[in-house]
Amino acid sequence: MKAPARCMETNAVSRKKKTLESAIELPATPDTTTAATMESEDDFNSSQASQDEFMEDSDADFDDDSDLDMDDQDVGFESQDKDIKPTKQAYEVDFKVFDPSQIQASQDKQIAEVSSILVQPPEATAILLRHLRWNKERLIDQYMEKPEEILESAGLGEASTTNPPKIIQVKGFSCDICCEDGAGLETFAMKCDHRFCVDCYRQYLYTKIKDEGEAARIRCPGDKCNRIVDSKTLDLLVGDDLRDRYHELLTRTYVDDKENLRWCPAPNCVYAVECSVKDRELPRIVPTVNCDCGHFFCFGCSLSDHQPAPCGLVKKWLKKCEDDSETANWISANTKECPKCHSTIEKNGGCNHMTCRKCRNEFCWMCMGVWSEHGTSWYNCNRFEEKSGSEARDAQAKSRQSLERYLHYYNRYANHEQSAKLDKDIYLKTEKKMQQLQNTTGMSWIEVQYLDTASQALQQCRQTLKWTYAFAYYLARNNLTEIFEDNQKDLEMAVENLSEMFEKPIDQLQGLKVDMMDKTAYCNKRRIILLNDTAENLKQENWEFIVSLT
Amino acid sequence: MSGLCINRLSEERKQWRRDHPFGFFAKPMRNSQGVMDLKKWDCGVPGKEKTIWEGGLFKLEVAFPDEYPTKPPKCKFTPPLFHPNVYPSGTVCLSILNEEEGWKPAITIKEILLGIQSLLDEPNPESPAQADAFNLFKKDKVAYEKKIKSIVKENPAP
Repeated sequence: MKAPARCMETNAVSRKKKTLESAIELPATPDTTTAATMESEDDFNSSQASQDEFMEDSDADFDDDSDLDMDDQDVGFESQDKDIKPTKQAYEVDFKVFDPSQIQASQDKQIAEVSSILVQPPEATAILLRHLRWNKERLIDQYMEKPEEILESAGLGEASTTNPPKIIQVKGFSCDICCEDGAGLETFAMKCDHRFCVDCYRQYLYTKIKDEGEAARIRCPGDKCNRIVDSKTLDLLVGDDLRDRYHELLTRTYVDDKENLRWCPAPNCVYAVECSVKDRELPRIVPTVNCDCGHFFCFGCSLSDHQPAPCGLVKKWLKKCEDDSETANWISANTKECPKCHSTIEKNGGCNHMTCRKCRNEFCWMCMGVWSEHGTSWYNCNRFEEKSGSEARDAQAKSRQSLERYLHYYNRYANHEQSAKLDKDIYLKTEKKMQQLQNTTGMSWIEVQYLDTASQALQQCRQTLKWTYAFAYYLARNNLTEIFEDNQKDLEMAVENLSEMFEKPIDQLQGLKVDMMDKTAYCNKRRIILLNDTAENLKQENWEFIVSLT
Repeated sequence: MSGLCINRLSEERKQWRRDHPFGFFAKPMRNSQGVMDLKKWDCGVPGKEKTIWEGGLFKLEVAFPDEYPTKPPKCKFTPPLFHPNVYPSGTVCLSILNEEEGWKPAITIKEILLGIQSLLDEPNPESPAQADAFNLFKKDKVAYEKKIKSIVKENPAP
């Protein structure tokens, strides 16, 4: 698949759509949403400026609205996220999606190329390449210097060029594995000459491939022999199902071995994504890629899209949310220790006169002092000002503050996650109703697609918002942080506004179409602004985090 | 599968009786009714000459799984042996006995026992299996050798 070429196509098309969309929206937009429309106009102009390749083209398009009526219905058709990505934004990275046949082809191509240089058969070359994790240059260098050494360590023994392996019958042969020695026993051996009966060989390969998931590094079944089973041998010995599995596993190791390739983590997705972002760049870039299956994920850590937070923070945040370090925090904020036996006590009601269930110590919950010294000030401790009491109070307040800070961010993080789910539910319900509406009022399918666009935008923006809270939790306070929080607030308001519209009854939804499209565009716009700001500052290492990113 | 396993084991038994390395023994066990169980063998490994293990004979139980020889047998010293690569249960930690490491279907009981014999005097500090022997081996070679010699005395070769 030629992704870049396809991209350009999309660009050209979507730009045209964009132009028309703005042109349509302007007259129809009520006063309240003019600002939003202006924003998207701005966006369009700026992105257009950086698109030098298409300047001529798009200029022509810009003024041309003669086929406005014809394209009117198409406006909501192109998904909004494609629409607003005519050029590469600061937060975007270059990537390319491969399907399984392309992965196979690129393997084959490299094998053929190196095979002709080394003058080795392709299956041996494949083993050599896998041995050096597909580092062609290193392989060629090492092979030119010490061919025997590299062949030996890759499990190929001495040069294997003559006589392809064959299944043969050998007189007086006894298999070392099953001890069969019947006449007419079919046997097989690779170049290492460790001969076994075909059944045992097959059984061995079967266990290695099916049970252990091994492919690239299956060795000869002979004791102490390191010779690797090559694909030609495998093809000769096993049936189709095992062969398919074998090649699947080989492809898997290919992608795993290549630093710039990664499998799409979506369930049942067979694509792999190529991206040139290296591990060491991760503190400065959040490489989000979009697989052809529609899944957005981070190339650095394979988790789903977590912009603007870099991988290091995400890992820390998820761990923090997962482990029970916060339980300890809760305990210190909500409980006290018995001053005598140090049992942890939560006061869930009643007066200040505490009797420890364990050691029967009687004390005052307020000042932690011995109860008998309280004299007549029972049930209303006035010894609050004493030193020991105030120290305990300070410690408690501090712990409570850090817990509250965490909860502030966590609640918002969790809220967006939850809301994204709810938005989706509402959308699914709405979609059903829209279908009914289509049936009853005769509206076309295309006319209701703006809801789909809006829903997608909502999902994406909530995903981003969710991670802005994890990001913010680790941010040190400074001016940049304030700008960030403003951006966050703007996006959040835009999202909540759009989300609210989804809850409107069906009969009103149709009337809100233009408004909704405006708000969708505005949300996307705010998201891009926020992501660009964070990505640029991340790249320049302007953010100050309260933890280290590595 | 079991057919292959039994077939191979009876063949190994034949070969062993025909010829086996000096000082070793290996024979299938008998259960309480006196029936021979080919999948459980009583084995003995002598200490190598000219090592601190010389003069000892160490008893092992070797249990073969149904998938043998696709999968390796389990070898266990009875009683458990004081050695850095022997688990407290007595199970031997050796690369050729690990399915995902060095196990090959062509390895026979002879190679296994010879492998274990070599392991006795050449412990692998990369994969310790018990703390006592490993720590002593690491920290105090003299005390380690003394301890081994006393173990050899407790398990003398006939």
